[in-house]
Amino acid sequence: MERALTTAWFNDEGRLTPEELQTVTFPMSRLGRRGYEEEPVQRFLRAVHAEFVHLANERASLWQDVQRLRRRIIAGEAGGDPNAVLFGKEDAHIHAVRILSTAQVTADRYVADAQAYSSRVTEEARLRRDDIMREAEQHSDMLLEEAHARAREAAVSALNVAAPPQTDRERRAAQAELAYLRTYSEVYRAHLRAYTEGLLRGIEDWERKEAASLQETASLQEAAQGHTDRRSIGH
Amino acid sequence: MPRSVNLWRRWRKAGPLDVVRLRESFDHVAMHGDELPLFFYSDLFIKHPEVRELFPVSMAAQRGHLVDALVKIVSQVDSVNDLTAFLQGLGRDHRKFGAVAEHYDAVGASLLATLEHFSGPAWTPELATDWKAAYELVGSIMTAAADADEQLRPPWWRGTVVAYERRAFDVSVLFVRPEPRMDYLPGQSVAIESPSRPKLWRYYSMANAPRSDGLLEFHIRLIDGGAVSMALTSSTIADTELRLGPPVGALTLSQPSSGRDLLLVAGSTGLAPLKAILDQVAALQQPPRVHLFFGARTADGLYDLDSLEKMAAQYPWLTITPAVSADSKFTGETGSLPDVVARHGDWSGHDAYLAGPTEMVQEAVARLTSAGMAQEQIHIEDFGWSEP
Repeated sequence: MERALTTAWFNDEGRLTPEELQTVTFPMSRLGRRGYEEEPVQRFLRAVHAEFVHLANERASLWQDVQRLRRRIIAGEAGGDPNAVLFGKEDAHIHAVRILSTAQVTADRYVADAQAYSSRVTEEARLRRDDIMREAEQHSDMLLEEAHARAREAAVSALNVAAPPQTDRERRAAQAELAYLRTYSEVYRAHLRAYTEGLLRGIEDWERKEAASLQETASLQEAAQGHTDRRSIGH
Repeated sequence: MPRSVNLWRRWRKAGPLDVVRLRESFDHVAMHGDELPLFFYSDLFIKHPEVRELFPVSMAAQRGHLVDALVKIVSQVDSVNDLTAFLQGLGRDHRKFGAVAEHYDAVGASLLATLEHFSGPAWTPELATDWKAAYELVGSIMTAAADADEQLRPPWWRGTVVAYERRAFDVSVLFVRPEPRMDYLPGQSVAIESPSRPKLWRYYSMANAPRSDGLLEFHIRLIDGGAVSMALTSSTIADTELRLGPPVGALTLSQPSSGRDLLLVAGSTGLAPLKAILDQVAALQQPPRVHLFFGARTADGLYDLDSLEKMAAQYPWLTITPAVSADSKFTGETGSLPDVVARHGDWSGHDAYLAGPTEMVQEAVARLTSAGMAQEQIHIEDFGWSEP
């Protein structure tokens, strides 16, 4: 039972043995560099470090057990209840500490697993969303392109269909329509010109006002600067 | 502060403590790795079960923090001021976890039991006295700082989520009303604990300067597997009550003003502290010219562009350049944010404020430094002694 108590929180699997230390080999590094490849050596050193931590913990634990048993013998409790001898109040506490430690580490692992899982789910959702958005964009691009192509086709076929008018009556009708369209386009041009000129006036006005306000700010700053300078001279 | 410094001096000079012996002893027990904090916490929880509820379910990260703090304390015994500041910060930081003076005694007893257990035959009465004295010193500096802090502010603020907006696939904006009102510097952050993730605190920056209604704006990005960010970006967060730690962080406008123009570089939700700084600049009498680069992977990651563009239209001193790194359809700047910033010319005469993914910030800082920007002109998110 005591042995179980001491080793309950140690896992004996995959431990480093002295034999492994003697037989370990590292690959030689590539041409042009001397010595071993760095990564395998680092990996090995990490394993050695973990093993030493493990041994140190085990040793501390065993030392506590030895101390406790020694105290028992000295106190001459060996004649009493054997259970009380092997498992006193102090041991109960250490035992409780180990049980709680194991429980805590288990809880930590559950939380870490849950977190890793939620992280994976969120990441997948994000990637899936990116995919959907990309597909939708491609689809809309395709639709737009198709519409453009159709419009082009329609325009080309309209040009081809418009054959020169044959009769006098048709020619007169076409000329009347042409005159009408010209007038209309002139009206539109006039409207557009007036509108654009209005816009330009607005821009000029804006420019003028900005220049004026900048000048004002500059003179204000100058005044403030002058003030500061005088003050620092005064010092 | 002066009191603690004197304590350290006494320890280092004539006192009964032997720093070399203490360090040797620590090196000896430190080789036990994770078993050391594991034993410590189990011992503590068995002797004082009520302390367990101050900690999260998983203790893995906590064990790392304990060992890191011990290593720092033992290795920095010689640089008194640094260590004192570190311990004071630690003491103040522990207020929000619910640590009180009695806990310090319990922790001390378990720490000693742990050291004894792993020291084996090397444990002597002298060593025990040294460790006890050292711990008492550490504990007294921490509790003194915590006590002083208690006069100034609560251990944590209650924060009600009054509004929740989902801005992008993985970004939400929260508006939180703290009680009592919280004063802070624009650019600072607070640790947040969500009721559905007890005892897990994560730092988030306020995205606004202090407002008259006291509301705090937070930008939360869902991190894959991030326990807290997942809880905070969930739609069930509306109307819940969060806990907010005290404001920390030094990503704040230099005072007095350097007079230089500002370059702000924000990657994703790194925008939050920089938007708070923008808020502050907007309230200045004579705001400097500000150029804000706001980058994300794709266009829909530019979750706050509308409000930024509104600001830019309103303030002539503000220029906004959005940039995306993985979206060929985007009509604006494309490429990595540090590249885009570098393409826009010489920034060496500016003060730079950067926040966002660590890699992006590091890369941008390296580029700015090599382009001639001085160290004191560069400001980045830095949580100092605290764990982000």
